[in-house]
Amino acid sequence: MTESDFIPWLLAGIPLVGALASLPFRSDPERLKQSCVVWAVISLGSVMTLAGRIDVPAEGLLSLFLLPLAAMISILGQPAHVDHRASWVLTLLFLGLGLSALTIRPPVEGIMLTILLGLVAGLLYRHDSALWPRSWWGIGAYGLGAFCAALSVASEAPISAGASLLACAVLLPLLPFHDGYLTALTRLPGSLPAFMVVLLPLAGLHGLVAVMSSVPDVVAWTVGLFALAGASYGALKALAQSRIRLLLAYGSLSFFSILWWFASASRIITPRAALLVGTVGLATNGLIIAWQVVRTRYGDDVDPQAISGLASGMPHYAVLLSLLALAAMGLPPFGVFAGFMGLLLSSPFPSSAGLLIALLAWLAASWYIMQMVQRLLFGIRRPELRYTDLLGAELASLLIVVLILLALGLAPATLFASQRPLFGTVILGESPTWNR
Amino acid sequence: MTLVFFVPFLLLTAACIVVFGSVGSQRARAKMAAYPIGAAFLGSVVTLYLVATGDPLEIRFYNLSSVASFAIPIGFYIDRLSAVMMTLITGVSVIIYSYSTGYMYQDRHARRYLAMICLTDFVLICMVSSANLMMLFLFWQVLSYLLYVLAHNHAHAGTLAGAFKTFTLLRVADTALLAGIALAYQLYGTLEFQELFRRAADTPVVLSLWPGMEMTGATAVTLLLFVGAMGKSAQFPIHFWLPGSLFAPTPVHALLHAGIINAGGFLINRLAPLFGLSSTTLHVAFLIGTLTAILGASMMLAQNDIKKTLGFSTIGQMGYMIMECGLGAFALAVFHLIAHGLFKATVFLNCGNVIHKARQEPHFPHVDHQVEEPRLSHLTWFTGSVTTLFIPLLILLVTHGVLRIPLLESQGTVIFLFFIWITSSQAILTLTRLRQVASWKVSAAMLSTLLFIVFVYLFAVESFTEFLYPNPEEVAFYFKAAHLPGWLFDLIIVTATVLTVTGWSYLYITAHGIALRMPAWIDSVRIRLYLPFMNRLYADELYGLLGQVFMRLVHQLDKRERGWSR
Repeated sequence: MTESDFIPWLLAGIPLVGALASLPFRSDPERLKQSCVVWAVISLGSVMTLAGRIDVPAEGLLSLFLLPLAAMISILGQPAHVDHRASWVLTLLFLGLGLSALTIRPPVEGIMLTILLGLVAGLLYRHDSALWPRSWWGIGAYGLGAFCAALSVASEAPISAGASLLACAVLLPLLPFHDGYLTALTRLPGSLPAFMVVLLPLAGLHGLVAVMSSVPDVVAWTVGLFALAGASYGALKALAQSRIRLLLAYGSLSFFSILWWFASASRIITPRAALLVGTVGLATNGLIIAWQVVRTRYGDDVDPQAISGLASGMPHYAVLLSLLALAAMGLPPFGVFAGFMGLLLSSPFPSSAGLLIALLAWLAASWYIMQMVQRLLFGIRRPELRYTDLLGAELASLLIVVLILLALGLAPATLFASQRPLFGTVILGESPTWNR
Repeated sequence: MTLVFFVPFLLLTAACIVVFGSVGSQRARAKMAAYPIGAAFLGSVVTLYLVATGDPLEIRFYNLSSVASFAIPIGFYIDRLSAVMMTLITGVSVIIYSYSTGYMYQDRHARRYLAMICLTDFVLICMVSSANLMMLFLFWQVLSYLLYVLAHNHAHAGTLAGAFKTFTLLRVADTALLAGIALAYQLYGTLEFQELFRRAADTPVVLSLWPGMEMTGATAVTLLLFVGAMGKSAQFPIHFWLPGSLFAPTPVHALLHAGIINAGGFLINRLAPLFGLSSTTLHVAFLIGTLTAILGASMMLAQNDIKKTLGFSTIGQMGYMIMECGLGAFALAVFHLIAHGLFKATVFLNCGNVIHKARQEPHFPHVDHQVEEPRLSHLTWFTGSVTTLFIPLLILLVTHGVLRIPLLESQGTVIFLFFIWITSSQAILTLTRLRQVASWKVSAAMLSTLLFIVFVYLFAVESFTEFLYPNPEEVAFYFKAAHLPGWLFDLIIVTATVLTVTGWSYLYITAHGIALRMPAWIDSVRIRLYLPFMNRLYADELYGLLGQVFMRLVHQLDKRERGWSR
């Protein structure tokens, strides 16, 4: 086994070992949480040290860095409670599976994706409540994804390409296979929704690298159509939601659909695409953790309008939530904006209508996210509510998300791997592709 | 060169001085932060001198030919336009900040507010000195958000609604601007200003929007960019965020009306070579500007609140400024926005005092001078006639003969002269009406002062045009691109003149109790128009209704599509 073959196994193995090593602390939630965070940090350190010695995927190395970081943040942002113990260990398990899917060569990559999707489907079957009843559509979607991932490993082209595309559509949500993503964000326990919102789309994007260049034109055109429908659908549904987790799920679906549209038009996946997917996932991760802070204090699924006035009672929380909201709605100088602009300027537009829909979806985010922030933070302070600002771990996790999003918005383009320059590219003389 | 780089960072330093430190030293830090702002102003003046006597200054923190650049290309390009805007912004900021330290003294949110003012100045300076369209857009968007933050108050529902409306409307315009930028990059492959202008001029592109409808690339790009400019400069029909944000503290308005709202005019001027390539866009700008000027001024007359009156006055003035751009008079537009900015900042900073004084003294403003004579004297009539009829003729002759401005070719100059005529005549006639001028000395003093001001103004404008656009061919090119058909332009001028003189005659005659036989329908129309204009053409209600209908549709769709996740 050569070094480039061994290192991916090592990267994937560290979090799995961490999950096993943390199990002895399961009777003490505080120590278990500390152990899981430490193992996520070790995993991040190993990725930073060894990433340069593996084959760089087409979408760049950003995904590899973001996964352990998101795992660490997701665990750190949770309160140390007995109910969350399993979710922390599972976060490490999924981190290991995710890293192996991103780094180990086929067919192991497909097998890991099958296990990952199957596990999520199993968790969705187990976890339901009166507030969030069991969703057979969601379980079915992940079941289909697992089946397709397995089929893509077992079969030859063109069946494997089609199956792989379907698996990607489940992971990186694309209408009409998005219901699994929605249920994962709303039903999964503890730190898992916050981590899954980063893991699943990045795994799907990695799968797309091989698929998009090989699918026929008509399939790519159909995918583009579904992507535009998904961008509008996600934005409209997000506008109608009063439940924060659904709002965030539909909002991120809208942004991921924009990525699908660009991918179907250009047929290639660049590091800019990874930047958009990773930062949208990370911003949503931060907002889910921020909502978790409110849930911890005022109960699950509390009406945001019933707890107005957090800005005066919880100033640190207000500042960080505002910054996260800015990032999530695609405003500069955060990473979502850099990713979106990067794709907008480096991809051809197959249609002006498509561009219009993508821009409207981007615009709609300003509406529903700003509305959510206004409901939560502003308004009259309620005397009957007890306001407690962020605790140490909560503050740290949200601050890290904001700083990373800021860094990704300002970092040099070379950080994500080489590609054509964003500026200075002459296309004069070419016939304009921007027409009907 | 390094000095230029320090101007924005001095403003950022001021923000940091205000934010970081103990509560006890807050007052001292607030005062101390005025010094870096003052230094930024001095730096801007030196920058203006440097670019006026030499070439534009360029600093880029990215390499055009290398991929080793920042995701967002940060660089500064400071020419005369940027330096003038920098001087205006920092100059106004010094005054506004100094005023604010006293105005917000002992306010609970003074620290946040003062820091935001410094941060807004920083963003404005970076925006006007951007080296490329991408960086300009970046700061343009941050400005939209800062405006939201400055205009809102946590605990006041009306303010929150106004701030939200401001943000959403500005975002709509920002989206059009983004579409314009993306299209410009797709067509010309660059967002660097000078390179973009060169490629757009060298490579005419025709776009097919749908069968039978074609448009040049420059027109498509500039139309989208113009919508972006319309948002920030409060142009019809996306103007009503401005009155909605009037709950904000008074100094914010001074900054908004003297600095932020000029962003649209600045954008058009910065991209003047691109706009000059599209007559269609310039004509659209003229139309939108005219509509905004008329509606803004009309609504201003019907308001009963001093801040709203000033707000609509700004909308009208911005309409006039955009109209000047639409006529190819780009330098005039900048001159106008500077003059208006200084004037409006002064008025806003003073309006609080007036309101305060009026509350303390029930008879303020004093009415003892308003005892009017039953009839207008011959002298008053003479002064009025000379002002309205003789002065414009004299201005035209001097402009045509002495300054040698080709009036028939430059419609922008004619419009500007028209503006001088209307505003100056209006001012002196108002004085005449209020004071009942019946003294030769007063009349002569008024007329000579007016003539002096008008001619100084004219010379200043001419010199400013030469300063900003030293190449006369460039100025002539813009005028030519914006040229309206002769008959249309004459029709507009004649109609406006007839309406203005008729309006004046009607107002001044009826103000002195002289009965005029007017058809009943004119009075009826006047009364019917008053109500909608007083209610700002029900734009807020329309916006609210549209929002409600849209949200109702969204909720109905949401209910019909049960959602698999529920």
